Amino acid sequence: MNSKKRNRSDMFWGYLMVAPTILGLLILNIYPFIETFIRSLSKTKAFGKYEFQGLMNYQEMFTSEEFWKATWNSIWFCVLTVPVGIFLALLLAVLLNAKIAGRGIFRTIYFLPMVVAPAAVAMVWKWMFNAEFGIINSIFGTEIRWLTDPKIVLITCAVVSIWSSVGYDAILLLSGIQNISPYYYEAASLDGAGKVKQFFCITVPMVSPTLFVVIIMRLMASLRVYDLIYMMVDQANPALTDAQSLMYLFYRESFIAGNKGYGSAIVIWTVFLIAIVTALQFIGQKKWVNYEV
Amino acid sequence: MKKQVKRILSAVALGGMLLTAAGCGSSNGSADGVVNLTFQIWDVGQKPGMQAMCDAYTEKNPNVKIQVQVAGWNEYWTKLEAAAIGNKLPDIFWMHTNEILKYADNGMLEDVSDLIETDKFSEISLQNAQGSDGKLYGVPKDKDVICLVYNADLFDQAGVAYPDDSWTWDDLISASQQIYDATGKYGYMAYADEQLGYWNFVYQNGGYILNEDKTKAGFDQPATQQAMEFYIGLQDYDWCPDQAYFGEQAPGTAFLSGQGAMYFEGTWNLLPMLQNNPELNGKLQVAALPAAPDPVSGDGRATISNGLCYAMSANNKNEEIVKDVLKFFGSEEAQRIQGESGAAIPAYEGLEETWASAFEGYDIDVSGVAAMFDYSVQSVNNASRPEWKSKVSDQLLKIYSDQVSLEQGLANMQSIIDEASAG
Amino acid sequence: MKDSLQKPNIPVYIALSVGGILMLFPFVWMILTAFKTNAEAMQIPPVIFPSEWKIDSFLQAMESLPFPKLYLNTALMIFFRILCAVVFSSMAGYAFAKIEFPLKKVLFGIVLLQMMLPSQIFIIPQYQMLAKLGMTETIFGLVFPGLVSAFGTFFLRQIYLGIPDEIGEAAQLDGCNRWKTFVSVMLPLTWSGIAALSVFTAVFAYGDLMWPLIVNTDVNMMTLSSGLSTLNGQFVTNFPVLMAGSVLAMLPMLILYMIFQRQFIEGVAMTGGK
Repeated sequence: MNSKKRNRSDMFWGYLMVAPTILGLLILNIYPFIETFIRSLSKTKAFGKYEFQGLMNYQEMFTSEEFWKATWNSIWFCVLTVPVGIFLALLLAVLLNAKIAGRGIFRTIYFLPMVVAPAAVAMVWKWMFNAEFGIINSIFGTEIRWLTDPKIVLITCAVVSIWSSVGYDAILLLSGIQNISPYYYEAASLDGAGKVKQFFCITVPMVSPTLFVVIIMRLMASLRVYDLIYMMVDQANPALTDAQSLMYLFYRESFIAGNKGYGSAIVIWTVFLIAIVTALQFIGQKKWVNYEV
Repeated sequence: MKKQVKRILSAVALGGMLLTAAGCGSSNGSADGVVNLTFQIWDVGQKPGMQAMCDAYTEKNPNVKIQVQVAGWNEYWTKLEAAAIGNKLPDIFWMHTNEILKYADNGMLEDVSDLIETDKFSEISLQNAQGSDGKLYGVPKDKDVICLVYNADLFDQAGVAYPDDSWTWDDLISASQQIYDATGKYGYMAYADEQLGYWNFVYQNGGYILNEDKTKAGFDQPATQQAMEFYIGLQDYDWCPDQAYFGEQAPGTAFLSGQGAMYFEGTWNLLPMLQNNPELNGKLQVAALPAAPDPVSGDGRATISNGLCYAMSANNKNEEIVKDVLKFFGSEEAQRIQGESGAAIPAYEGLEETWASAFEGYDIDVSGVAAMFDYSVQSVNNASRPEWKSKVSDQLLKIYSDQVSLEQGLANMQSIIDEASAG
Repeated sequence: MKDSLQKPNIPVYIALSVGGILMLFPFVWMILTAFKTNAEAMQIPPVIFPSEWKIDSFLQAMESLPFPKLYLNTALMIFFRILCAVVFSSMAGYAFAKIEFPLKKVLFGIVLLQMMLPSQIFIIPQYQMLAKLGMTETIFGLVFPGLVSAFGTFFLRQIYLGIPDEIGEAAQLDGCNRWKTFVSVMLPLTWSGIAALSVFTAVFAYGDLMWPLIVNTDVNMMTLSSGLSTLNGQFVTNFPVLMAGSVLAMLPMLILYMIFQRQFIEGVAMTGGK
């Protein structure tokens, strides 16, 4: 086959195959994002009218104590959830991959949070963590204010977040682990490598492409966390400012206070943060992600 | 390979067809002359009452069908605003005092001044439905006041006399203390809420939150400051839970679990409370709010009164029909249907007893509620309220948790409202 | 391989059991609470078991919400979102992983960008688009934001990257063009990825709350999530009813999941054993 012709045909098929996705993304997602960007440079008035005003919103934002607190809360939430959550998910995936009797039941149990609506998850956890009526304080005989103590509230949210995502992440990792050829393990066993060594020398490198996806997804989700905190910490909670993430602040500014320009600036900042973290991941992946299977 | 392309394409196309097929039936206006209108509300509990009103209208006008749709409070406003921008507002929708000025002043709502007999509605009801220009942008729907809800069982156990019209703030404190000493349960639960909390105390004491022309806040007024200090100070008593407690459960939840004896509740919540919690029957009773013992001005009585209205969009293609529906909604007949459903107290004067009759199956006396309207104060509102509302409540929580002093916090609240109101 | 079944797996069992109890507890509590009376649920200290197993809360929840309709709407929404995600993302994922064409990096950048964007900013613009199409209060409205999937594209691209180039090249040497190579050679190799993507699309669609709440306010066009949240507004202080509603909402998903899980795991095992 003529290579020039082949290139042209590749181009044709390449564009054709990405077209629906790219078009859809441009209309559904990128256009709203551009609009958000323009809004962030504008003074917004009621009902979508706005006028350009330069960097005023950013100036206001960077001098706001509440904003920096929310930035810190989002990062802190990431630190609380991502390393622990990913480690547990990987461990769980390996354990669930073990050839033991009854693992089907265990898999079912661990993936169970995926089939409950997040609204219901938040409802039952909020109920269990309730300082007065909750079962958790009652079991441990404690009087901890899980949801209203400023120092504890984000940790509580992180626990719930890990609880609901660990099975989700494990299922992804498990599909990666199951694609690893058993010959690698057999060879390693013959060489006398123990389970722990096999985990770090075979499982982690071999599952690294999937692991990379999971880490990226989890980081992005944690940096823009909103629903969970919104459902666990309502607006009358005195610990609100200690739990309020960037997207929660965005919600309150844009949707409740009607301050869309300022809210848009918060979104741009959040996306900027996520972009930096993601870029670092993509640079870092060359050091540890292994695509040669 | 063409076969495969076709297969996938036809699968997608089939999917698309199914989607569109499922989408039929929502267009308004059809060949047989029937006009379908949408009516958007935010309270599920009132849906039957609203439906009954619509049915009554359809009975007289068989060519008009009205569909009642319910969205939760938060989604309601998100959706309504998006719809307003896209010029796709529902035909009829509820309007709240928090938002009406924003919608009316930006020309989103139709002037409905001619549709009602204004002498049948109270001044407050009319004000709650007005834009900044004084025209009516909604047909008054209902009116409410804040009342004191108490648990008669806990009062009996502690041997304390039930609250009555003679109560002042001092009685509230002493009764709370006695109940706490005798039963170990909380007394009056002072909650960091505006309409259900400090606003009432401020107006009882002769203070105000917003001045007459709604341009400046009143947190620099001695009467306001005094009432705020009193209200926030209640949290320091053993018989009052702190705000962290309310961060997890509203006072109503604590009340129905028997953990607290008293709290302020809006009249709109009384019937749902009883319906959803049959075990409260007999225990839950209502009284007038305690008066300020030593007001800076006035007689010490006040309760915040709010009210909703029915609004329509400024450019509705079925304008005449929708106006006729709204005219009906504002008539005595429709307001009576609403009252009898127990949904809310009709805004139409003289129909208070229709609402009271909805309580007949319960052991509760709500006959005193009508008298509370005599000294009620219109719910606080100006065009920039959505902007300052949550900021002010953040400040209040900061005062409660000692992150700022009372003086500083009130000064902050003052400047937040003043700046927002200045535009 | 076979002898691993006899290896000492006690630590594995202990670890899985402890974790399992932690995972299950909220569900147990949900179910126990659903059978209590409200007074019982609010007792201090909490009682574990209801004194009498009452089903009143379930009846009340079923009375307030048209559950069969909610099940159907949710199922339709999930089905179409999976269909769209799998078809479009497989195509794009393959192209991004295996075909060279100009501007590929830029276009893939759009995919990555979408993944970074918080979904809250799409809600109002997407609602307005849908309103212009006159498609609110429809199943299509529920599917709308899921017509294409950036995550699916990204995820399947990773899967295709893991497939050696030689496989596709061999097919092309046999005279297949790109599309034929994709459909008959590469696509079948990603079965486990597609299965995983389907599960995640389903989970995400099922949990999506804000969008269905805003786009469909007619209770007969709601999903389980949005329906449940209206229940929350109605029974704000009645936990047994809320819990009963939650149980009812997760029941069909749970049953489907149990059935689906077997095929899913078999599929995964089949590809893994190649």
